Amino acid sequence: MKIISQILVRIPLILWAFVVVFPLVWMFMGAFKSNAEIFTSPWALPQTFNFSNFESAWNDYNIGRAFLNSFFVTVLGSLLTLFLSIPTAYALERIRSKLGEVLINVYLASMMIPAVLGWIPLFFLLMKFNLLDNLWALSLVYAISHVPFTIFILIGFIGNVPKELEEAAIVDGMSPYGILFKIVSPLIKSGIMTVTILNAISYWNEFFMALILLQTESKNTLGVAMNLLKVDAQYDSAWGVLFAGLCIAVIPVIIFYTIFQRHIVKGMTEGAIK
Amino acid sequence: MAFSAKQKYLFLAFCLLPTFILFLIFTVYPMLGGLYYSFFEWSGTSANKTFIGLENYIRLWNDSIIKKAIFNDFFFVFVKVLGIMMLSLFFAVALTQLRIKEAPFYRIVFFFPNIMSVVVIGILWQFIYDPNIGIVNSFLNQVGLTEWVRPWLGDKTWVLPSIAIPAIWAGIGLFMLLLMGGISSVPKSLYEAAEIDGASEWQQFWHITVPLIWPQIKTSILYIIITSLNGSFVLVQVMTGGGPGSSSEVMGSYLYQRAFEDFQFGYGAAIGVLILVVSLITVLISQFILKKEKVEY
Repeated sequence: MKIISQILVRIPLILWAFVVVFPLVWMFMGAFKSNAEIFTSPWALPQTFNFSNFESAWNDYNIGRAFLNSFFVTVLGSLLTLFLSIPTAYALERIRSKLGEVLINVYLASMMIPAVLGWIPLFFLLMKFNLLDNLWALSLVYAISHVPFTIFILIGFIGNVPKELEEAAIVDGMSPYGILFKIVSPLIKSGIMTVTILNAISYWNEFFMALILLQTESKNTLGVAMNLLKVDAQYDSAWGVLFAGLCIAVIPVIIFYTIFQRHIVKGMTEGAIK
Repeated sequence: MAFSAKQKYLFLAFCLLPTFILFLIFTVYPMLGGLYYSFFEWSGTSANKTFIGLENYIRLWNDSIIKKAIFNDFFFVFVKVLGIMMLSLFFAVALTQLRIKEAPFYRIVFFFPNIMSVVVIGILWQFIYDPNIGIVNSFLNQVGLTEWVRPWLGDKTWVLPSIAIPAIWAGIGLFMLLLMGGISSVPKSLYEAAEIDGASEWQQFWHITVPLIWPQIKTSILYIIITSLNGSFVLVQVMTGGGPGSSSEVMGSYLYQRAFEDFQFGYGAAIGVLILVVSLITVLISQFILKKEKVEY
């Protein structure tokens, strides 16, 4: 009986693993194929593993430039998010006052409101400040959009830091800034890791803000460039190049996630218990 | 505290003010601005911005495409809640309670779609459904179901379910992890006691697991509803642009087209307000329904 149920339960698991992995394998194989191969043998392995599609996507279709832009926005956005969120989360967790409660609720409520509502004014605001088509401004917009979520996660972790440590530091004459940056921040490292991984993945993957706020091709991030590549590839029937482009966008995150996935699981369960 | 009041307030200001000011400028102002702009007719250049009161909303009321879009949004909400919750609950139970050795492998693999960009998912699935190079039609041809072959995204009846499948595909991993967290915190002794009483695994699932992880189930459902109403349009915009005709249009994709393709920014803003109102009402109603369920236990 137990053996049968063990086998029965594996069937849907294996099926779903196949449903998840197969499209990715198909995409990866397609990246090495010629157009003719993609049409005539969609299920077969590529005849040769040559990287010309990758080269073409990277150089001729601007994916290389977009890759570097996405990297810039992801790193800068993630750092800005931390600079903006850690002090706020600390102050809100430690100083329990009426005003603090209101502030927490304002940040939380903003997470419920669709970002789409703000797109049009945000577009004209950045236009007025001459910040359209600017990767620094895009990073800042990303960072602020994730501040509420980041504060929300970090507050849970800061709550676990024993107050006695801070009191001892005060006795030693440490300033509040020193306590925040030298004592509390290092102690919530695992929380910082978790949110930063999640933030970085969403900045890397973001599409619509970049589509609206960027304008010239040299500034495009991967999402926007991929959408252009799709149109161009359809026009040129360059299917292999399109698949290579998709791989370039996906492979870094899959590697990044596989290395750091423990932190996400840990952070999510620690955060959920809180 | 050993700090002087002045020191303390300076520190608080340092912690809270810069972030809050930027939040006011880049989050609060745009949201209020969206409401304000919805009362104007405006093509983007400041010269021709005219106050027209509720006219955009009256136009929305009479717009047949927005009705179709709302219907489609609810179709996605319904199918995603059902599909994602059933599958992720099943996988979460299987991977936590049934002592499967290779569980970590499935946990990692099932999460892959969650870390992929929605644009990439949209483009990838667009080509999975492609009439010429796609694998769906190629598979149907191979197994002899040629009468099923069709241009999936170009077919008015099939376009919505065709977009819903990648939406579910991309959602399972996250909710499976959330539910796994809930299930692993249920005390083992409850199951042992139930086993002694002769409860079947199915009964244990309905009478122990589900009620005890109800908070996680509730949170997941509400989260799927919110993200679906506010985010389905990315997949729609990438895969079909709302077509064919307007058969896969959702509120967000319609907003994007009206505002950023046709330069009707006032009307676009009104659609934004509509999305907010529809989301809030839906969340309130579902919260009410989900709370009722819990009282029965």
